[in-house]
Order: sequence, then structure tokens, then C-alpha cells
Amino acid sequence: MPATTATKKFPLVDTTEPNRMEGTFPYDLPPLIKFDGPLVEQIDGETVEFDPNSVKTRDINITDTTFRDGQQARPPYTIDQMVKVYDMLAKLSGPNGVIRQTEFFLYTKNDRETLDRCRALGHKYPECTGWIRAVKADFRLVKEAGLAESGMLTSCSDFHIFDKLKFKSRKECMDSYCEVVDAAFEAGVRPRCHLEDLTRADLDGFVLPFVERLMEMSSQVPEEKGVKIRLCDTMGFGISYPGVELPRSIPKLIYKLNKECGVPSARLEWHGHNDFHKVHTNGGTAWLYGCDAVNATLFGFGERTGNPPLEGAVFEYIALLGKTNGLNTNMVTEIADYMKEEVGLPIPDSYPFVGKHFNTTRAGIHAGGLRQNEQIYNIFDTEKLLGRPPKVAITDKSGADGTTIWINDFLKLKGDNKISKIKCHKVCRWVMDQYEVDGRLTAISDQELEAKVKELMPDHYAKATGKK
Amino acid sequence: MPSVEDRVKAVTARVLKVDADSVKSEQNFGSDLGAESVQSIELVASFEEEFGIEMDEDAALSVDTVGGAVDFITKVCQEQGVSV
Repeated sequence: MPATTATKKFPLVDTTEPNRMEGTFPYDLPPLIKFDGPLVEQIDGETVEFDPNSVKTRDINITDTTFRDGQQARPPYTIDQMVKVYDMLAKLSGPNGVIRQTEFFLYTKNDRETLDRCRALGHKYPECTGWIRAVKADFRLVKEAGLAESGMLTSCSDFHIFDKLKFKSRKECMDSYCEVVDAAFEAGVRPRCHLEDLTRADLDGFVLPFVERLMEMSSQVPEEKGVKIRLCDTMGFGISYPGVELPRSIPKLIYKLNKECGVPSARLEWHGHNDFHKVHTNGGTAWLYGCDAVNATLFGFGERTGNPPLEGAVFEYIALLGKTNGLNTNMVTEIADYMKEEVGLPIPDSYPFVGKHFNTTRAGIHAGGLRQNEQIYNIFDTEKLLGRPPKVAITDKSGADGTTIWINDFLKLKGDNKISKIKCHKVCRWVMDQYEVDGRLTAISDQELEAKVKELMPDHYAKATGKK
Repeated sequence: MPSVEDRVKAVTARVLKVDADSVKSEQNFGSDLGAESVQSIELVASFEEEFGIEMDEDAALSVDTVGGAVDFITKVCQEQGVSV
């Protein structure tokens, strides 16, 4: 095969001053996502342009389903746990409601008590909404709970219409769904239709006619009560790449609903699943192409492989807007600590933003770089935004200084409370002996070091951790 | 009761694994007695334990001779009301 022919020359731009590209990598924010042109799709033979910078002027937001989809993937949370998490979500969300809504089951006494206790906290955001089956009688629950909005299942692939729900025809299915939407309007509740299995549904044969009918029905009620549409990528089949055909193309799905059916962006919400490792990027793609809301769960917990991780959506949001818009990102760490320590949620050490080692540098040469300028090996100012300064893993190159830094970090000691190398000398000795006496060649794990701190510095360990 | 100098020399010999009689006041912990980084810290920790005192880390680690350690520890003992 012939080599590709070069078409351009690139002379070196010599300088003695580094260009650290602060405009894109400001460090006190996550790296910004900047666009230098429109997004382009071919739809039904026409070239369609999307303005990605519209995210800066639209009211894009995050909606949460930690207590609904997130809870389908794990043993139930206790009421106290859910109230605590809701309270922390509100603090993360901030005054502008970046985390706009969260949804609750309404079926059991515990469900309703949880909802009541969360609302009693008095937070404006996230707004509490419901989640019910597409059954008319279920709107009684929504009304009794005093909710202004509820999601309802309106599955739209033929797998669901015929094989799961056993409708005899698409018309019978659509009529049934629309009856429930009518019931919602009558109850004064805004229905949010969850188009389950949208990414393998017949768009022209069912989805678009159904949404068209929903828009007609919505024209009979005030705008704030008009039907919202949740685009549910139930099996994770959605694709973000340009040029993909329907029904898997996220850009085209959104275009069809937004521009052809006329559903405003403010009434479109993306709900993804991670079966093909695409969940986070698919959520960001939905924002760019016209969905104002991306539905997410804390740490991505959700049915099977999970949903867009909410904390990932938080940093994507900041990267797209170029500002935090009131988000208190340090709450991400606080929520993760609570979920790990109090709820027992397993979060892998390497998990972005909250895993134990998400910003730990292991290679000695990287650690050297980190010591010279932490930006070399830290994604952004993780201490400012997450309360998590970058860390160095302990090896033969760490020395007593590195080991002491690790111990203070592990024991969460700051400022004047930090303990000196002198108090850490036994652990420092153990580390050195691992390499010099025992001939060890690998890095020392946190588990090993924790055990040694507990054994060799029992008073400090007990004081800092509350454990003996 | 042994003198501060005797106690400093005994601790130095134990930590650095050298003969106590060979430790001289003018000797440098690093270049003469072979103290490496971690051993310097172990020496300071052992002096604290021997005399029941707390020493400033940076100041203690900047003392580089046995005689210097005797003077430094004597001063710290006086400041902290420890009789020697």
C-alpha cells in the first residue's frame, strides 16, 4: 500500500517560553471543550448544521435518576440514606439548579415517606418528580403526592409494544398511552413520556406519529404542562458519530423530535445506558444536538451496565459552558465518601473523579514531574474542585518525604495537624527495607501501607480513623 | 546517671549499628558514620524517645555532628524542662 502523501509543511515554531494553552486548560476548571465550527449531518438527503455553542445559551441541565434507575441496580437504599443523598445533591446542584430534577418511585409507603422527607428539606433543586407505569390509575399516586410532573413508561420499540406489553397493534398501543397522557392532564400533572427502547424503534412507523400526537395534545394545555419527551436508549444502542443511520443516530433522533415534531429543547431529555461503554459521551452528544436535559445517576449506577455518571455530566457541563454556574463540585467527593463508607457502594479505585487512585501517579518519573509542577500529571486543580490533591504511589524512589506525604494524606491531616517524618520513621523504614532488604520491585499498595500505619503508628491511626 | 554525650553516643551506635566506643563528638552522622536519609530520621526519633522530648524536625535534621546533637538536645531539654 502506498504511503500517504504529505500535503503541507510544518515549520518548527521555536520559543523559550512554554505555551501551556491556558485558554483551553485553565487548571482551575476542567479542560474546556471548544468548537471551531458547526456539527454537520446528512438527514434525509439534506445537509443539516447544528450549532454546538448553543449549549451556552440554552438552559442545559442534568436530571437525576439515582433513586429510580440507580436503585434498580442494587439493594434498596434506606430512607435515611436517600434523604441524605438528596440533600447532598441539592448542595452539589447549587442555586441555579444545574441538577434540575430527580425522580422517585411512588408505589410503597417507604417511597412516599422518602419523597415527603426530601421535600421537607425545602430545597428548590433538584425538583422532585415521580415515575409510574403508563396506567391511568397510577396518576392518583402522583396527584396524592402533590407532584407537578411524573415520568411514565411509553415504550416504543416493537420488542416492547408487541412482545412485552402484548398490544395487538401499534394503534392500540398509541391510544392506550394517549389515554394516560390525558389522565395526567386531567390530574394537572405534567407527563414526561419515556420513549423506552427508542434506539431500536421504528421512527417513521410509530415514534414520530406518537410524538406528533403528543404535541397536538400538548397544544391544549399551558406550555409548562406540555408533554416532555425522554429519549431512552434502553439498551445502550445509541451512537454519537456523524453519519450513522436511524434509529441508532443520536443527532438524527434529536433532530427528528426537535425540528420535525417541534418538541422544544427544554422538553427533551436523554436517558442512556452503558452497555457499549458509550454512555457518558452519548449524554454529552445529546446536549450538543438539542436535548436540554441529560438524565444521570451518581457514579453511573443503574440497570445492568448503568447510566451516565452524574459526576461525569457535572464536569462535562462545566467544560462545555466554561463556568461552574453555581455547582459545588466538592460535594462530588463528599457524596462519594458517603456512598462508599455509609452505603457500602463499591467504587473502583481507578474510577474517574472519585476513585481512590483517580489522580495518583505511580511511575517515579511522573512523580518527579508532579513535584515540579502538579499540572504536568493532574487533569485539573483536583484539590480546588474535588478536595483531592494529586497523590504519588509509594516506591523505592519515594523516600521518607514521599512516605510521610502519603501517611498525612491517608490520615486526612492538613496544616498544623500534619505529622512529621520523625513520627513516621517506622513506616519509612519498612518501606526502605522492602526494597533494600527484601529486593522488592513493585510499588507498595495502599492496603499494605494502611496495614503498616495501623501496626506501626497505632495511636495516630486510631485518632485519625476512629478505628483500632 | 550517664551524661547527655554518653546517651547520644549510645543511641547513635544502636541506630547506625556501629561500635559505641568508636563514636566521637566531631564525627559527622552522614559522611563519617554512614547515616542515610531514613537513618537520620530514626536517629532523631530515637533521641526524642531517649530524652522524652519533642524536637523541631527541620532544626533537628540540620544538626550534622554528634557534638552538635549533644548541644542541641541539651538546649531542647532545658527549654522543655527535662532534667539531664
